[in-house]
Amino acid sequence: MTTTFPPGTHQSADDPNVLLDDDFASYEPIPPYPPRTEREAEFYTLDDGEMYLNLGPQHPSTHGVLRVVLKLDGERVVDIDPVLGYLHRGVEKLCENADYHQTISHLDPLEYISSLFCEWGPVMAYEKLLDVRVPRRAEYIRVLSGELNRIASHELFMGWFALDLGGLTPILWAFIERDEIVEMLAALTGARMLFNYFRIGGVNGDLNHDFMSRLGDWMSRAAGQIDSNTRLLNENEIFVRRASGLGVIDTETALKLCMTGANLRATGVPFDVRRAHPYSVYPELDFDIPTRTEGDSLARYLLRMEEVKQSLRIIDQCLEQLPDGPIMAKLPRLIRPRPGRAWAALEGPRGMYGAYAISDGTDQPFRLKIHDPSFIHLQAVGALLPGHLLADTMAIMASLDPIMGGVDK
Amino acid sequence: MDRALKLRLETRFGDILRGAVRQRHDETEIRIGAEDVIDTLRSLYDEPGLGFTMLADLAGVDTGTEMQVVYHLWSATTSDWLRVITIGLSRDDPRIPSVTFLWKGAEWMERETYDMFGIIFEGNRDLRRIYMPPDYTSFPLRKDFYLADDAARSPGGGVRHMERTHEPADALPGTRRAGTGA
Repeated sequence: MTTTFPPGTHQSADDPNVLLDDDFASYEPIPPYPPRTEREAEFYTLDDGEMYLNLGPQHPSTHGVLRVVLKLDGERVVDIDPVLGYLHRGVEKLCENADYHQTISHLDPLEYISSLFCEWGPVMAYEKLLDVRVPRRAEYIRVLSGELNRIASHELFMGWFALDLGGLTPILWAFIERDEIVEMLAALTGARMLFNYFRIGGVNGDLNHDFMSRLGDWMSRAAGQIDSNTRLLNENEIFVRRASGLGVIDTETALKLCMTGANLRATGVPFDVRRAHPYSVYPELDFDIPTRTEGDSLARYLLRMEEVKQSLRIIDQCLEQLPDGPIMAKLPRLIRPRPGRAWAALEGPRGMYGAYAISDGTDQPFRLKIHDPSFIHLQAVGALLPGHLLADTMAIMASLDPIMGGVDK
Repeated sequence: MDRALKLRLETRFGDILRGAVRQRHDETEIRIGAEDVIDTLRSLYDEPGLGFTMLADLAGVDTGTEMQVVYHLWSATTSDWLRVITIGLSRDDPRIPSVTFLWKGAEWMERETYDMFGIIFEGNRDLRRIYMPPDYTSFPLRKDFYLADDAARSPGGGVRHMERTHEPADALPGTRRAGTGA
């Protein structure tokens, strides 16, 4: 259909496809109810020349199901309002109605990229409630499998981040390494992603031949492979120029926003729970906490790649120092911890994972609170984005590495 | 356990504390009332001997008789996690001051706690539901919110409920298994 406009104007009042000012009068306001809070009222009031843009809930770059309402001025982002809850499963409520062992399988899907860390926190909290000492071999196996999972997660981050910046190759390369690790963990735990491997007082199974041969095979070339993967990006001028100076955050703001993990270390704070508040056998292991001071997306990316090297060091030491012995503490099948409270925190690939468990003396946790770093870091996106271009939205979000499964619980 | 921290907390907050300072494993626990939250957390944050500058977690708890808000703090001055439990919030109208003036990042944690427990954080400028839809009216993590299929709390009670066999109503007489009560 061709539309002819009268000379001197681009709008015709006769054309039903053209919206005039009167047509907007019948439009529902966004959102379709009066604002409930000060902040909502502020966000849903437009200044001159501003507009809203809705991203999601199924945008491919949002690493899960997230909806973000952007307030734009031209192509600049003025403000954002993330809308969560599309993946909310009520895990904490489910855990209150399951017994202690059953909760572990509820916790896995929280972060489907690094499930072991989701299990580890609550399991540590339960062990504190029960005063159980975990056998040293089990602790070493936990650290070993955890660090493998961390590498897999960081590799995937590398691919995603490049993908969100418009590079397709790195994710294909990243998946080579990740798939090897995932297959390795499948040989150990029986599952590729949702492991359900840690048990209260130990781990589910001992290291087996399949796992060890895969691991030895992979470790012999892992450092070189990962190095060549990262060189794809580290020496790519387009990538480096694009990512540097993107989403800069300073130390004070990062601490006020409760950020942890690589996102905090990229601002120069050497906070790593493995060193700041040691748990498991990390005090016996020798590794560094790399930090950077730029606080931008590139720094966050480079730090994670640096962490991969440290994880490889840790795996080497675990294999060297692995003690013999049992992999499970002696515990009854049905456990009823004495009434009490316990908090356990650990350093995962995305930051500090925590669990706060309350026991009332029955076989089900009275309350289990999961602290997930993705939730905290997604909140920080609101502080990072304003002033950036629309095209940088996903790049900044990806550089913080949130996983929506963990955000929405 | 950091005994020195216990002493420091007792001397500094002696009259505010509700009950003794408790220590277990690597955790130190103090209990305060909702009216003391702002002063206590500001002191814990600012004072040089304390320096709890990192808010590790903020959680709501429904004990069945009262509401609680629990803060976990980290400081470089001690090897312990500090747990600050705010006790005595009424279940009908739980209200507590927001800590967003110290940690902007507490905003979403408080939103989550509001969404799940209905605890009102006074001073939080964005206190709306975060997970549940805006027109939702219940607070799912309260203890009087029962899961439809598995509300039993006795050990094994829920499991038996879930595993009960359901025979079709029009099954032929004599084919029903014994013990199903039909």
